[in-house]
Amino acid sequence: MALRIRRRRLPISAPTGVGIFAMRRSAQRTHLAGLVVLLAACGGGAERGERPAARAASPQRIVSLSPAITELLYALGAGDRVVGRTTWCDYPPQVRAVPSVGDGLNPNLEAIVARRPDLVVLYRSALNETAARRLGELGIATAVLRQDRLEDLADDAGVLGRLTGRAAAGDSIARGVAQLLAAPAPDLGIRLAFIVWDNPPMVIGGASYLDQLAGLAGARNVFHDLGTASAVVSLETIAARDPDVVVVLADSGPSRPPAFAGRREWQAIRAVRARRFVVLVGSVFGRPSPRAAAAVAEFHRLLEAAR
Amino acid sequence: MRWLGLGAAAAVALALAIVLGPTHVAWSALGSSEIVRSLRLPRAILAFLVGGALGMAGAALQALVRNPLADPFLLGLSGGAGLGAVLAIALHLGGPWILPLAAFVGALAAMALVYRVGLVGGAELDPRVLILAGVAVGAFAGAVTTAIVSLASAADLRNALLWLWGGLSGASWDAVLVVCVYVPLPLGVLLAAARSLDLLALGEEPARFLGADVDRVRRRVYVAASLLTAAAVAVSGVVGFVGLIVPHAMRALWGHQHRALLPAAFVGGGTLLTLADTVARVAVAPRELPVGIVTALVGVPVFALLMRRWTAR
Repeated sequence: MALRIRRRRLPISAPTGVGIFAMRRSAQRTHLAGLVVLLAACGGGAERGERPAARAASPQRIVSLSPAITELLYALGAGDRVVGRTTWCDYPPQVRAVPSVGDGLNPNLEAIVARRPDLVVLYRSALNETAARRLGELGIATAVLRQDRLEDLADDAGVLGRLTGRAAAGDSIARGVAQLLAAPAPDLGIRLAFIVWDNPPMVIGGASYLDQLAGLAGARNVFHDLGTASAVVSLETIAARDPDVVVVLADSGPSRPPAFAGRREWQAIRAVRARRFVVLVGSVFGRPSPRAAAAVAEFHRLLEAAR
Repeated sequence: MRWLGLGAAAAVALALAIVLGPTHVAWSALGSSEIVRSLRLPRAILAFLVGGALGMAGAALQALVRNPLADPFLLGLSGGAGLGAVLAIALHLGGPWILPLAAFVGALAAMALVYRVGLVGGAELDPRVLILAGVAVGAFAGAVTTAIVSLASAADLRNALLWLWGGLSGASWDAVLVVCVYVPLPLGVLLAAARSLDLLALGEEPARFLGADVDRVRRRVYVAASLLTAAAVAVSGVVGFVGLIVPHAMRALWGHQHRALLPAAFVGGGTLLTLADTVARVAVAPRELPVGIVTALVGVPVFALLMRRWTAR
């Protein structure tokens, strides 16, 4: 479990040189991942049983530095305590009324501190670990959570549930995730490839949330054997592995086939030739959020339609 | 004999590029395989043409600015191309060809700017001013690119940079056709300037005494080499080292006569990039390396060996 809480008071020191990671920061959005109204309802049920004492001890001003964490906080019933979010946080819709503290990739400490938080929740990354250390030095409690896979969501729900005094809601979400993971996956017999960039061709590998979603939705990722979250491969490899369906991510709404579908060299791939694309909305499918069960069901439906 | 050796090396490189790949294609199926026909073959030809263009542009530019460190990207073209590509993505311009096209336009814009600055001293193109202007324009474009990348939304822009670091994944018969139509003209201009480049190597004054129209040669060579480089960027991103190392290696073998050096740099550059691209596709299959990394990994040790030979002499 990747929880870390620091409460230390030190004089403010010189700013750290975080700018050097500028190239790497954008890596995040591709791998962020999505969740479920049903689970949110569980959170509401737990609220009634909570004692006032627990609430007084738990953080009242929370800044979330990832869309999945924001969704989780709302699902836990702690949404009214979120006082800062990232520009990517778009669910549930009322979160847009909360001030943004930046893109959350390379945390803007000044903007975060200005929200006077008593808890900052971050996903685990090199930049965020540094930021968490700095926030700790400023006397602000932090929690650094993993959110690479669905299993992480169950852990995170438990941790955040206890931290916010909503342990019952957290455990309920964790149980929901465990059930989703344990449910026998329907086998559609579809082999798919996620293509997240076309030049150079970049695909999603086995160590990713999307790969997990594909498995739960009843399909098999032909690049499951790649041990990384994403990788650059050659067109030839995609053609040889011959997926039945090509899955692409879009920023918003179901859209038209990707631009690369029209390029000649891509016609070597059977699924591209046959225009068998499934377009997923990145904000729902890209992040392991409490909407995961709905995402799996929707993915399954889209795949069946594409078959 | 030297030509025979170089030709054989080129033939071997092309053959390897067609036979080898991340997936296994049986010998008997080489002729009929869809993968060979529509992916490997155009990619091998494109790698050869791009490598050749870079090698020849590098050789001509080194003679033009009389600086052994000159390479086709020294004069700000890579910065301009990167800015073009990133702008296209940040502005959400669509279409299958938008990235190469935007990079091409960016490179041409940088070239025009550097050229204009290079003329500040009057009608003649001063090589020293040209280099400084190139470095300055490149740095400025790089700064603007980084600003856009750090301000705009993220994943696509990172991917654009990944493309810019070099790769021939976009190779297709369309790209081969475009390059085949486009490249002969600047190549011809450079070959026609071979004799003048020989004179220019003696120094500006002697070249003038011997009858070279120094200013015109400089302008032509600069524009032709830049046009070649811009086309190379558009189809393969910024592939380093080919344009720097190949001309030096070929000069070691062919001497300083540009009539021989320029074609040799073309064939040598093509051979190197074709080999490097094969390594990039095969070495870590099914994943792929950026080809610019391979040209550096292959090119630098070869270069070090050559340097030892020169200094030992």
